[in-house]
Amino acid sequence: MINYHPDTRLLNEYSSGTLPLAQSVCLSLHLNYCDQCRRSHQRLQQLGSALFEDLSPQQVDDSLLRTVMARLDEEPEPLQYQKTAANEDDCPPLIQRLMQGDYEDLEWKSISKKVHISRLRTGDVDNEFALYRIDAGASIPRHTHRGTELTLVLEGGFSDEEGHYEVGDFIMRDAQQQHSPTATRDRDCICIGVLDAPIKFTDWKYRPINPFLKLQAS
Amino acid sequence: MSMASNAGTDATGRRDDEWSLCLQQVAQSDRAAFARLFKHFAPLIKAFALNGSAMAAAHAEELVQEVMIKVWQKASGYNPQKAAASTWIYTIARNCRTDMYRRLQKFDTPINAEDIWPDVESDELFAAVQQKRDAARIKDMLETLPHEQAQILVKVYMEGKSHSEVAEALDLPLGTVKSRVRLAMKKLQLTVER
Repeated sequence: MINYHPDTRLLNEYSSGTLPLAQSVCLSLHLNYCDQCRRSHQRLQQLGSALFEDLSPQQVDDSLLRTVMARLDEEPEPLQYQKTAANEDDCPPLIQRLMQGDYEDLEWKSISKKVHISRLRTGDVDNEFALYRIDAGASIPRHTHRGTELTLVLEGGFSDEEGHYEVGDFIMRDAQQQHSPTATRDRDCICIGVLDAPIKFTDWKYRPINPFLKLQAS
Repeated sequence: MSMASNAGTDATGRRDDEWSLCLQQVAQSDRAAFARLFKHFAPLIKAFALNGSAMAAAHAEELVQEVMIKVWQKASGYNPQKAAASTWIYTIARNCRTDMYRRLQKFDTPINAEDIWPDVESDELFAAVQQKRDAARIKDMLETLPHEQAQILVKVYMEGKSHSEVAEALDLPLGTVKSRVRLAMKKLQLTVER
């Protein structure tokens, strides 16, 4: 059961194609788990389509039709697309593509003894896209954000001051919100974090490293 | 040429059925049907490109070609029970415009638009029928939307602007843009209010 969803702005920017790439990947992964948001997205595409039909048509020369007709023969045979089935149990195909393997194959860097990070390349140079692995019962040190942080739970679950999150849940935090996510005790938690600016630790123990936190987007 | 003799009486519905039928003929490699589809949709795709970023606008005819060739290639995967032809073509145009923008920006990415907006099929007939009903309703209700709300949706969907960019373009506070979008969503019954 999914309890936390992207807001109206995020859904609209995702469906219309204006959301940055790394954030769009995160939304797309949430849809993989969430029927409700998938339906909203389908309706928003219908809205886009209705607006598309209302555009005032722009003159297209017949020569362009001839060019396209001539190209039909050169192009490969019509493609047969495979259906993408939503499956709650599997790791979503899109994340598998980005990882090029399994969670175990990734290079994990440690933030603390029990919290590890692995940054994945999406091609979006403005947004860092990373996987976090929090050992069962462990916490990410208390922090705030300088920008926006999107989080999606892929395995296990975690809690912070505002709630408890399970697989598929989507959370957005911005500059004002301070939190310290703690993984559930029974199993490790893996989640995605998309950042458009570095986080800021508020715990005295970690504060000295704040000036050195850089966004690593690629 | 007479098409869609079995179409409904509703003007909007008839137009959809006509193009859905045409698209199914394209799936059979019917070139005449493709030319008809091109004549109707190419001018809309060109308008969609010209409404987008300066970069997309500069490559408008290239985008028309790219989208129409994709339509030809993918037509066999079109399911008329699931979506109106116009919705199906619009999503291809959106995907191509997004991919083109990233390509021109020299984005080095392993992901393309089809990964971001996967064509998730719902197997239930009910859901498909529901979707077509939604589409007709959205079209009708769009006409009744106040200009100040519709204008923002056009900027988001056709011009590809984020809410902050819309706020800047219209010289409005971001909060106003967000609340107008929320009001529009409520009126169109599009998203669950959160």
